[in-house]
Formats: sequence, structure tokens, C-alpha cells
Amino acid sequence: MNFRLLLIPALLLLLGGTLCASTAEVEKRLQTAVNEVLAIAEKSSSPSALAESLRPVLQKSLSFSAMTRRAVGPGWRQFTDDQQKKATQFFTTLIIRSYSSKFTPGEYPAITYKAASTPAPGRVEVPTTVLYQGSRYNVTYRLEESEDWRVTDVVIEGVSLIANYRTQFDAAFKSGGSESVINALSQSVTNPK
Amino acid sequence: MKIHPSILILLLFVASGPWLTSCASSASRKQAAPASSRSVGEKKSDGKSVKATDDLDEYTAASIPDPLQPLNRVTFWINDGLYTVLLRPISKGYEFVVPEPVRTGVHNVFENVRFPVRLVNNTLQGNFKRAGQETGKFLVNTVVGVGGFGRPSDHIPALADVPDADMGQTFAKWGIPHGAYLVLPVLGPSSLRDTVGMAGDYGLNPVNWVTIVYGGYTWTIAIPSANSLRTTHRQLGVYDAAIKSALDRYLAMRTAYAQYRAEAASR
Repeated sequence: MNFRLLLIPALLLLLGGTLCASTAEVEKRLQTAVNEVLAIAEKSSSPSALAESLRPVLQKSLSFSAMTRRAVGPGWRQFTDDQQKKATQFFTTLIIRSYSSKFTPGEYPAITYKAASTPAPGRVEVPTTVLYQGSRYNVTYRLEESEDWRVTDVVIEGVSLIANYRTQFDAAFKSGGSESVINALSQSVTNPK
Repeated sequence: MKIHPSILILLLFVASGPWLTSCASSASRKQAAPASSRSVGEKKSDGKSVKATDDLDEYTAASIPDPLQPLNRVTFWINDGLYTVLLRPISKGYEFVVPEPVRTGVHNVFENVRFPVRLVNNTLQGNFKRAGQETGKFLVNTVVGVGGFGRPSDHIPALADVPDADMGQTFAKWGIPHGAYLVLPVLGPSSLRDTVGMAGDYGLNPVNWVTIVYGGYTWTIAIPSANSLRTTHRQLGVYDAAIKSALDRYLAMRTAYAQYRAEAASR
């Protein structure tokens, strides 16, 4: 038997190990970003100040362009470049504002990270358990490797942030196309509820 | 026996396939699969399959038929007003008067007392392991946690993460669909199936037995009222989180509810 053949499983195992390390690395990167967010939240005085302080960190860790594209869905192809840019800007503000409002000053979540999984190549899901204000929540972060490994969705107790917006964007798109989506977004950003 | 090198390479490649495609173990994958990944070619709880065609289509969320939408929207806005005018101030008052550790303790006590709801539903779902875990949780929290005020079961790995069980979830596991989306006055989002389930859970919850047995006495209102106060406080938090920054608050709530219930049925 040709002994060189034995090198193949060794190489395959080595490659597998490298991929595992990269999943762990993605999880580690997520943990660093979440810790950074919590550190900023701890120092913040108000939700609006927090939103502004969090913007650079979130822009570094979340892929807002992918999130907007997915939230709009197949209708995205009918948006002009300018409309896509506008929609991404509005949606970014909306997500940052919504995320910042989740923090109550003085009360910080205890997060337990579980083993990450790879549902498809270039995708990693990191399940966590969050203990916050006496309640336990299952929160899963979905990350994708586009420009870099970035969060593209957050699923809280089975409720996907992106899927939730998808239904709303769909309704707006059906009623008046891309302009209607931009108007609804613009209204939500200028008149926060 | 002599094996041709090309066959050997093929066999080795096939054998190492799982290594290359999934770093996390199959156990962790099963544990980690969130609702969002359900949309990629899996089946939803109502049996309708959702298939991904490309990266823009895969986020199709679980949904509930909504033939009563005009009526539901009216109830939704009446509820929203009621929450703002009446329930939110009461909830704020509760938060102001009762410190957080006590609120958590009160919540724990009522959740511990709700044990028969979880026990019966786990049994009806044929999940005897979880029924056993629930019994263990109840005993540990009642005895060590002083009547359920504390949750020492959280520190026991086998009892720490037992998913909740209710009758709507049991019906879903039996294959009964939602029927139609319903916004109930005061109580909020539900469905025909979950409303029937809620009635069953009401009867199984010992908190309500006091009112059922001693219904004629005024004092019996106190216990269910305290329960309502703590659930209202928590549910308003969930409600606010679901509709915050929504483009259409009604749709945001309906989709969140549908996804939440689909996830509960898949656990």
C-alpha cells in the first residue's frame, strides 16, 4: 500500500481542525464585540447618548447592508442604487436605536455562550443564554463572512429580528413598491414610537 | 484484498466529510439551531415547508392566517391605549414600590406554583424526561428555594434549562394548526388554538384554583391579582420590545408571536 495515501486523512483532519479554530475565532470575536457594547452601555447616561456611542462599535460588528437587503427581501432587486443606500441608512439608524433601547441603566445581562455551529459554509450561529432582569432568554447570533465576519441577524426566543422586519417591509412593498418602503422607514426614523 | 488508490481516496474523503462541513458537533448543532435557520428548507410547525431559493428569500418567517385582521387591528389599538393609560402606570407603580429582587422572587413563586401546567403538558406531549425534570425542579425550588422564591435549580445543569410547556404547544405538537390569529382584549396576541390552550392552562394553574373553589369570597381575588400584576409587568416589557422601532406595530407583534410559538412547538 502506498504510504503517501496515509497523508490524506492527516491533511483532512488538519484542515478540519483549522475550520474548527475559525468557528471558535468567530465566536471569540463576537464575545469581544458584545463585551465592548456592554462596557459602553455601563458608562452611558441616556438611551440617545448610548445609541450614538454604540454606532461605531455596531457598524464594525454588524453587516447593516446585508441586514437591510435580507429584511427587504426579493423586492430589493427593484430598488435603485440610491434607494438601496437610503434604505440601508434608515434601517441602520432604526436597528441601532432599537438595540440601544434594550438596555436599562444599572441592569446588565449575564451571557453564557454555547458551542457555535456552521449551518452553511460562510455562516456561523452562536447560541447564547442571557439572564437579564431575572429572566432567562435564548439569544442566537447569526454571523456571515462577507466583508469580514459580521452579525447579520439576532434571534431572541425564536424571533428573528430580520424576519420580523421582512413581514413589515413586504406589506409596505406590496402597497407602493420601493418608495413606500423608504417612506415607511423614513417615518419610523423621524417619528420614533 | 487490494483496494484501488482512487477508491481509497474517495472513501477517505467521504469519511472525513462531516469533519469538513461541520466543526461543531451534531449535538451542538441540534442545540444551536434557531428559528431563523428553520426557514432554510425545514418544515414549520404547521406543516408548511419554507424553502430557500436565494439569500433574499430565506427569511420567510412563520406566519398565522389572519382572516379577522380588521377586527384584530381594532382590538390591538384598544389594547395599546389600555396599556398606555392603565396598565403601564400600574406596572410602573409596581416597579417603583417593589424592589427588583422581590419582584424576581414573586415571579419565581408563581412560576413554581405553575408546575402542574408544565407537568401535564409535558406528559401529554409524551416527553416524560422533561416531566421528570419539571418534578425535580419543583421539589428543589420548593424545598431549597423556600417555597419557590429562589431558583436553586438554575445551578443544577440537568434542571437549569428545561423549556416551558403549555397546552397551545401541546396542540401544536399533536399537529393542530393555529386556525386564525386572534388579538384578545387586554391579553393581546393569540390564536384560536392557543386561546383554547390558554383556557386549559388556566384550569391547571393552582393560582386559579383558589378562585374556582372559594369564588364567593373577596380575599380570593388577591392571589390571582398579584399573579396578574407580575405577569403584566413582564409582558409589557416583551410587548414594548416587540413593537419598538416597528414600521407597522400590528404586523410586528403578529410576526413575533407566530415565530415565538413556532419555536415553542419545535422545542
